[in-house]
Amino acid sequence: MLDLVRPKIEIRGVSKTYASEHGPVLALRGTDLTVNEGEFVSIVGPSGCGKSTLLYVVGGFLAADGEVAVDGAPIKGPGTDRGVVFQEYALFPWLTVHDNIAFGLERQGLVASEREKIVSRLVGVIGLAGFEKRYPRELSGGMKQRVAIARTLARDPAILLLDEPFGALDAQTREIMQDELLRIWLETRKTVLMVTHDVTEAVYLSNRICVMSARPGQIIEEFTVSLDRGRPREELVVSEQFNSIRNRVWLSVRRQALVAGERNDES
Amino acid sequence: MTKADEFMSSARRGLVRVAPLILFGLIWHIICAVGLVNKDFLPAPGAVAAALADLFKGGEITKNLTITLFRAAVGLVLGAACGIWIGVMMARSRHFREYVTPIVGGTYSLPKSALIPLFALWFGIGNVTAIAAVFLACLLPMIVNTYHGVVTTPKVLVWSAEALGTGERELWPRIFIRNALPDIFTGLRIALGFSFVLAISAEMIASTNGIGKLIFMYGENGNYDYMFAGIACMVIVAFLADRVLVILTKRLLVWHESAVTEPETRRR
Amino acid sequence: MNSAEVRTDAFAWRSAVSILLFIALWEIAARIHVAPAILLPPFSIVAAQLWHSTLDGTLAADLSISLARAFCGLALATGGGVVLGLLMARNRTIEWLVDPLVALGFPSPKIAFIPIFILWFGIESLSKVLLVTFACVFPVIIGTYSAARAVSRQFIWSALSLGSNRFSLFLHVILPACYPRIFTTFRIVVPVGLITTFTAEMVAGGGGMGATLIYSQRFFESPTVFAYIVVMLAVGLVVDAVMRRFQNRFLRWAEG
Repeated sequence: MLDLVRPKIEIRGVSKTYASEHGPVLALRGTDLTVNEGEFVSIVGPSGCGKSTLLYVVGGFLAADGEVAVDGAPIKGPGTDRGVVFQEYALFPWLTVHDNIAFGLERQGLVASEREKIVSRLVGVIGLAGFEKRYPRELSGGMKQRVAIARTLARDPAILLLDEPFGALDAQTREIMQDELLRIWLETRKTVLMVTHDVTEAVYLSNRICVMSARPGQIIEEFTVSLDRGRPREELVVSEQFNSIRNRVWLSVRRQALVAGERNDES
Repeated sequence: MTKADEFMSSARRGLVRVAPLILFGLIWHIICAVGLVNKDFLPAPGAVAAALADLFKGGEITKNLTITLFRAAVGLVLGAACGIWIGVMMARSRHFREYVTPIVGGTYSLPKSALIPLFALWFGIGNVTAIAAVFLACLLPMIVNTYHGVVTTPKVLVWSAEALGTGERELWPRIFIRNALPDIFTGLRIALGFSFVLAISAEMIASTNGIGKLIFMYGENGNYDYMFAGIACMVIVAFLADRVLVILTKRLLVWHESAVTEPETRRR
Repeated sequence: MNSAEVRTDAFAWRSAVSILLFIALWEIAARIHVAPAILLPPFSIVAAQLWHSTLDGTLAADLSISLARAFCGLALATGGGVVLGLLMARNRTIEWLVDPLVALGFPSPKIAFIPIFILWFGIESLSKVLLVTFACVFPVIIGTYSAARAVSRQFIWSALSLGSNRFSLFLHVILPACYPRIFTTFRIVVPVGLITTFTAEMVAGGGGMGATLIYSQRFFESPTVFAYIVVMLAVGLVVDAVMRRFQNRFLRWAEG
């Protein structure tokens, strides 16, 4: 695909060291990655390989060596162009569903009527009409994650950063939420960078999968996924095509996991 | 990092932490030297230090401090022992718990120092009054914390122990009480603070000796540098006692991730 | 009526029975002179004294003085403590300056400072209020500081990528996240404020419940001694119940 438009996200030579009680730890070493506009890219890899760290660096939450550029300009910290959804939802427990979703809009300075319009639309999109006055404490895991997604979408960021968004959910809810996310992405066509440890999920949702090596992390393999996402899950997941990709990705991750395991034994 | 390096860096850190105190001490000294405040209201740090040295030499401080510490310690030990026992009993027996809880809940709201005049009425001026007050004050945090510690023993711990052949009788010391130890030590730290407060309160209100009384008397007689000296001494003693308990707890509970909640969490 | 309500009703019943039993034993023991009347006046006499003091206004006067002192001190301690705790969490220099003071102040028996406060502020209300502030501020500082430091970084990161500036972060994320901890600390500190007030009044006089209590003891007026202790107990219970109500009403959102 000829791409004369510059990539949405460019990550070049990013390295990150952090301090731990056993001395400095190199989490990422010279990682490179580009994400084009409208792509759904997943990063998979063994536990502790640094994939979440990379996501946090892109989000501007962690400082690192190297370059991260969005639309060609280096990032200077967190920004409203990069929305983030965490595994633990990070919903503000003292705010209702409504106020959580409206949080970004209030920061933006929109008037109440404007905010209402956006919030009610999003509540509809995530299918939680009627729950606006509930507190996060009263919601199930899947509902919380929907609210978290709605809250992020409220400011209409061009980029969505998802850190194992469905990791805390049970298997059935996870599948439902994956379909939800897919639906929202197909509608909005945002650029998505997702970290997950679930290879099947990565294949199901993304059009590109990057495999990260064991720590210190680097992208060592990439897979392009072109599946017809119009097909229902039941058909897609059992198909030859799906499983061939899934198996290749899984093997790649498995190899890295074994390397990581050996390193742990040695140390 | 070698041992010497570790020592140097923790010494340096200790110095940094103490530095503001030296700064405040200097400011105190300057305020007094410049005469910003009436000498009577705020004796200079030098005068207080001299008074403190004098008290040590003359033995007044050691004598009275021992009396105060004795009262606090006896009350603390008795209160802790009874408190732990009651807490364990409350956790073991539903009947016991049902009868004792209203009493415990009720006395929680009673300021224990209010009982000092009552005890003075009953036991007169002296050791018994002070020890009784300390005892009652230490009881409650020990009961509450012990009970909480035992009752929050994870079920899976108990089941694992049973599956590994631990008998009913052994479960208590081995599992429940061990699990409750961090909470017990937290309660002990609170009770330690209470023991000092109640001992001194009792001495100021109804006693003829003890460091509380000493401080009060110097105040009444206008010997303010001695008064300040006595207070400073008490602050240091209480601080050291607390530190010792914290270090002891860390040593004994080395297996627990957060043995005693440090007031100043220094994580970044 | 759900099971929780049934349980609290049963608990209330049992408490009432315990209290009545206690009063009955007290009355009987006093009447049969287990101890001289000076040391153990019968409950009925104490109740009569309580009634008497209420009627002639002394109880009301003493109580209002003491409570006013306690709550002024608590208000100052909470306001100042929260501000200091937040500042310490935010600013390294302030943390460095205040930390040793808190480390020394927290374990020390603040009661020992009564003579200093009397020296500087007299024996009337000001010294009591400030002593209460001094006694209560340290736990508030510590509680606020550790709550502020413990705010999950995911809250902060989410707020930042939703467009919060530093000030809004503090006001709309860190402070609300600290409310439960601040309130819990406040609940713990209120009895401390009451105790400090009563004790300071017992030691230094100057009106209030504690002063009357100690005078009664010195003149062997034991019914008043008992009556005032009962009132102090009741005050403690009422205040605690009020705070529990408040917590249920406004802090429902806090998990656990």
